[in-house]
This record gives sequence, C-alpha cells and structure tokens, in this order.
Amino acid sequence: MNSPTPLRSNDAVAALRDVVFAWQAGSPPVLRVRQFDVAPRERVFLRGPSGSGKSTLLNLLAGVAVPQQGAVSILGTDLTKLSGAARDRFRADHVGFVFQLFNLIPYLTVVENVTLPCLFSERRRARAVATSGSADREALRLLEHLDLADPVLLARTATDLSVGQQQRVAVARALIGAPELVIADEATSALDADRRAAFLELLFRECAATGSAVVFVSHDASAAHQFDRSIELREINRP
Amino acid sequence: MISSLAWKSLRHRRLTAALTVASIALAMLLLLGVERMRTESRTSFAATISGTDLIVGARSSPVHLLLSCVFHIGNATNNIRRDTARALNERPDVAWTIPIALGDTHRGYRVIGTTAAYFEHFRYATGRSLEFEAGKPFAAGAEAVLGAEVARRLRYQTGSTVVIAHGAGDISFFQHDDRPLHVVGILGRTGTPVDRGVFVPLEALDAVHAAANAQAESDPLAAALKQRDGTSSGSLTAVMLGLKTRSNALAVQRSIGEYPGEPLTAILPGVTLQEVWEITGVVERTLFAVSTMVVVVGLAGMLVALLTSLSERRREMAILRSVGARPAHIAGLILGEATLLTAAGIALGVVALYAGLLLARGWLAAHFGLFLAVAWPSAHEFALMALVAAAGFLIGLLPAWRIYRMSVADGMTVRI
Repeated sequence: MNSPTPLRSNDAVAALRDVVFAWQAGSPPVLRVRQFDVAPRERVFLRGPSGSGKSTLLNLLAGVAVPQQGAVSILGTDLTKLSGAARDRFRADHVGFVFQLFNLIPYLTVVENVTLPCLFSERRRARAVATSGSADREALRLLEHLDLADPVLLARTATDLSVGQQQRVAVARALIGAPELVIADEATSALDADRRAAFLELLFRECAATGSAVVFVSHDASAAHQFDRSIELREINRP
Repeated sequence: MISSLAWKSLRHRRLTAALTVASIALAMLLLLGVERMRTESRTSFAATISGTDLIVGARSSPVHLLLSCVFHIGNATNNIRRDTARALNERPDVAWTIPIALGDTHRGYRVIGTTAAYFEHFRYATGRSLEFEAGKPFAAGAEAVLGAEVARRLRYQTGSTVVIAHGAGDISFFQHDDRPLHVVGILGRTGTPVDRGVFVPLEALDAVHAAANAQAESDPLAAALKQRDGTSSGSLTAVMLGLKTRSNALAVQRSIGEYPGEPLTAILPGVTLQEVWEITGVVERTLFAVSTMVVVVGLAGMLVALLTSLSERRREMAILRSVGARPAHIAGLILGEATLLTAAGIALGVVALYAGLLLARGWLAAHFGLFLAVAWPSAHEFALMALVAAAGFLIGLLPAWRIYRMSVADGMTVRI
C-alpha cells in the first residue's frame, strides 16, 4: 500500500488524510479514510448505501463534525485546527449545500432563501455584489439560469414550489457568492429519472460557470456516469 | 440578521404567535390591573378624608360607619339624635363638629344634610380644604351646594333648582317637589366622593321630611319607605369631629363610647381604614396569587408553542447550519422569539390596562367612589413587568437549549 500524497496548499479543494471518526471517544470508528481528494472544478460522484458513513463524511467536509484523528483540509485550511465558530464561518464562505429534501426555509421567499448564505458570509455577499450589483440581483440572475425567472413563481412562498423547483432554488443558494465546493447530498433522489439528468446538467453548467467543484453523494449509482470521477465509499472507508 | 430571521419566522407562525402574545397580554393585564386597583383604591380612599380625628355614629360596625359616612357606600342602619351632636360640639376637647345626615338623593346622587361647618372644616387629600368653583356656601333654608361631578353631569349652575327625593335609590317614588332648593354654590373638583354629593342645610332636610311625613299619613307605601331608609327630622347619621389636641383622640373615643345619652360608636378614620384593608387584603392576596398563576399559564402556553415548533425547526436548522449558522445562532433564534413574544405580550397588556382604566374610570367612580388617577406605571409595576420579561426569557432558555443540543448532535443531517 503506497503512502498518501502529501498535502500542498491550494492543490485540492478538499483533502482528507488519515481521518478516523467515532461518535464517542473509545467507541468503534464509523469512518476511517486514508486519503480522499477533490481537485478544483472536479465533479466527484460518491456512492454509498445508507449507513455507510455518508452523512458523517459530509459533516466532516462541512466542518460540522471533527475527526478524532487526521486532517480535513478545505482549500488548504485544516478544519481540525479551527474553532467551532471559525469552522462555521469557513463553511459559510467556501461551501454550498444541496440536500435531498426540505431545502428551503418555509417562511422566506424564494429570493430570501437564495441569498441566505450572504447573511452569514461577508465574502460570498461581496462576490455576489461584485457579479450583479446586489445579492438580490445575483439571486435573480442565478434563478434565471435555472429556469426559475417567472415572476409568478418567485412571488410564491418557497414551500408552494414543486420538488424539482425547490431543488433548483437550492442549487442557486449553494452557488451564490461562488463557493469553491458544492456538496450535494442525495440531491436528485426526490426527482424522477428524466428530471434527474436535466437537473444534473443544470448543476454542472452552473458549477462550471462559478468554478465550483462538486461532491455528489448518493446511494443510487445510476447518475454516476455523468461525473468526472465515481468512487464507492466502501473503497475509501475502511473502519 | 438573526433578528430579521426570527421576525420572519414569527410572521410565518403568526396565528400561534398572536395567540401566545394575547395570552401573555391578558395575564399581564390581570396582574397589573389587580395591582393597580389595590394601590389606587388605597390612595384614593386614604385621600378621601384628612384632618377629621373622629367620626361618631350610632352603635354599629366601625367599617360600616366609615364606608357610609365618608365613602357613601351602603346606608347607615341607625341614626343619632341632634342633641347628641350638640353635646359633642360642646365638649371642651372638641374643636369643631360637622353633622352629617344621609338617606336622600337627587337624581341618583346622594344628598348630604350638614351645616356650613362642612365647607369650613372638611379636609381631603393632604389637608386640602374645599374650594368653590362658583358661588358660596349655603346660608340656611332652601339652598344647596353641589359637588363638581353633579353640577357637570346634570348641567347645573348657580341659580338652578334641585328637588330632593326620599330614599337612596336611583329611582325614588317620593319626590319633595313642593320644596325646591336653589343652587348657591358649586365645589371644585376633589377626586373624592364629595364631587358626587348634593349638600343641603339640615333645616332644608327637616322641612322636606316634615312635608313627607304629612303625606305619609295617607300613603302606606311612603310610610313603609320612610321606615326603611332615610333620616327622619331631628336625627343625624354621623358627626365628624376635629379635636383641639390630636393626641387625645383615643381618650375621647373611649369617653364617647361611654356616652350616657345613647349608644354611640366613635372611630378613628385612619385606624378603621386599616381594618378595611385587612378585610380586603385577603381578597387582594388571593387575586394576586390567581393573576400570578395566570401569568405562569400564559408563559407555559408560550413554552408549549415553542417546544412544538422544534420538530419543524429541526429541518430548518440543518439548512441554516449548512449556510454557516452556528448552533448558538439557532438557539438565539428561539430565545429571540421567546423574548419578542413576551415583550409584545407585556406591551399589549400595558396598553390594554390603560385602555381599561380610561374606560372603567367613570364607572368605578360612580359605583365605588373610587377615583383612579391614570398615572405612569409605578416602580413596583415596572418591577412586575421586568419579572415577567425575565421569566419569559428564562422559559425561552429551555427550548433554546434543546435545539442547541439537537443542532450539535444532528449537524447537517436532516432529521424528520
């Protein structure tokens, strides 16, 4: 077994090295990853059945959870060395998320949902403003790219949208302020097969436009062929 | 930024939020209302009489005598004789006396038969004497002086004529129409039951009663009414006394109690007022306890509403976490909501209290002789508000703590 590639700054958007994570110190680890890298602009498909440590891996990449051992490096910053508050700020600045369901906050409008990261990240707000003049205009621009520009649609409360529309709003939110990494957790599982391909195309197009790398996690490998690289979580996780 | 989210979240749950605010507001209204009534009734009652050292009436309960003679609440059951009043007036230790004869009304307002001594010696608030807004005290015969409220309500001026009805009811069967009295004076506003009095000389009362008696001979109903209430000629309800040496009050009180002419009760107004407070104190404490419980129930309602919303929020939490919110932000959302709801409830309660005070003012003055001042909240009331606000904040800590724990445990995993 060859030793993992050493880390170089800005070499990878995300890099895990010798990561061991257990829910409690002393209990058996649920995740043990020697090496996992995501290159800039890379589109990575990560397949794993439920219970395979998928959520844990995402929480580690997001800095919501911290491993007992090893390093989780995002854009050359080791998250394990940051405080909880700093990790939350770092996530707000550099990572966008798309969930499977319930992506939108019901009491916010579509545009407010999209601009939500700008409330927590000054960096992403500044980037949005630099592109379009204001966060709201950038949100509208992204929504237009995702075929959600219809004013009737925008006037609705977020929860009145169809699931497919909600997922696209979530993509706009993940991409606002051009974060370097977009993590999608079962983002297409609630969509039917035809919509799935179209959704991925949109996601890829917009990520390419903003220059974001994509880590797409799913239990269903049917979309794997659309990605640059496809990995079985089993292959990298050896608890 | 968190506060704007908290506000939008509240707006989203506006029905629950409105109900929570309403229940806290009602609880606050009750708590402050009870407190306000307690302090205001005490100040109002204490300000009603001042400078009178003793009140003497027929043997009865001191509280009853005080309430009927000073506050015009209820009717004295027995009368005292005029010569008793004269004997009291002649005592060497007595500086002045004011005879009081109650039992008649004018269009629902009490008629107080007295002498000009009333306008000279009666004091209220902190030793303030009565002032005339118009006219002068009655001299004798068919003249009357009106309290400010009576003159204003019934649109009387000096020169108007009033007719006395026998009995204390609002509607009386028996009008002394043939004996009209001329209004010669109108008193300035005092904020005491004096404002609601019609003051007439004792002689005028005697004259109308003589006429009534004459009529009663041939009218059994009138005779029965006369038996039931009202003063008969030559009698008094009470006498107010001022002493030459105030410190003698207890000795004089004892000596009057032993008056050989007829059984008398002499009371020290301040002491008897304390007795009234002792009686009402039990009720006040009960009301305070009940209103405190209502506040607890109102806040418990908020706690239930917040805890029920947690499962719904658990989903929002993952989204907020994903965009960079800290667990503390999410706990802050809940805590902010609890604080906002409590603050809104308190504010609404205070507004309702003042609206209620303004509305109930006239009615309380008319029925209970209770004159409420619409003043700023007292320090004590502010303390109560602060206490409720603090309780609301503390109650908010529980759901905030729960969601904080959930947030740390769940991370960004959406749990349903």
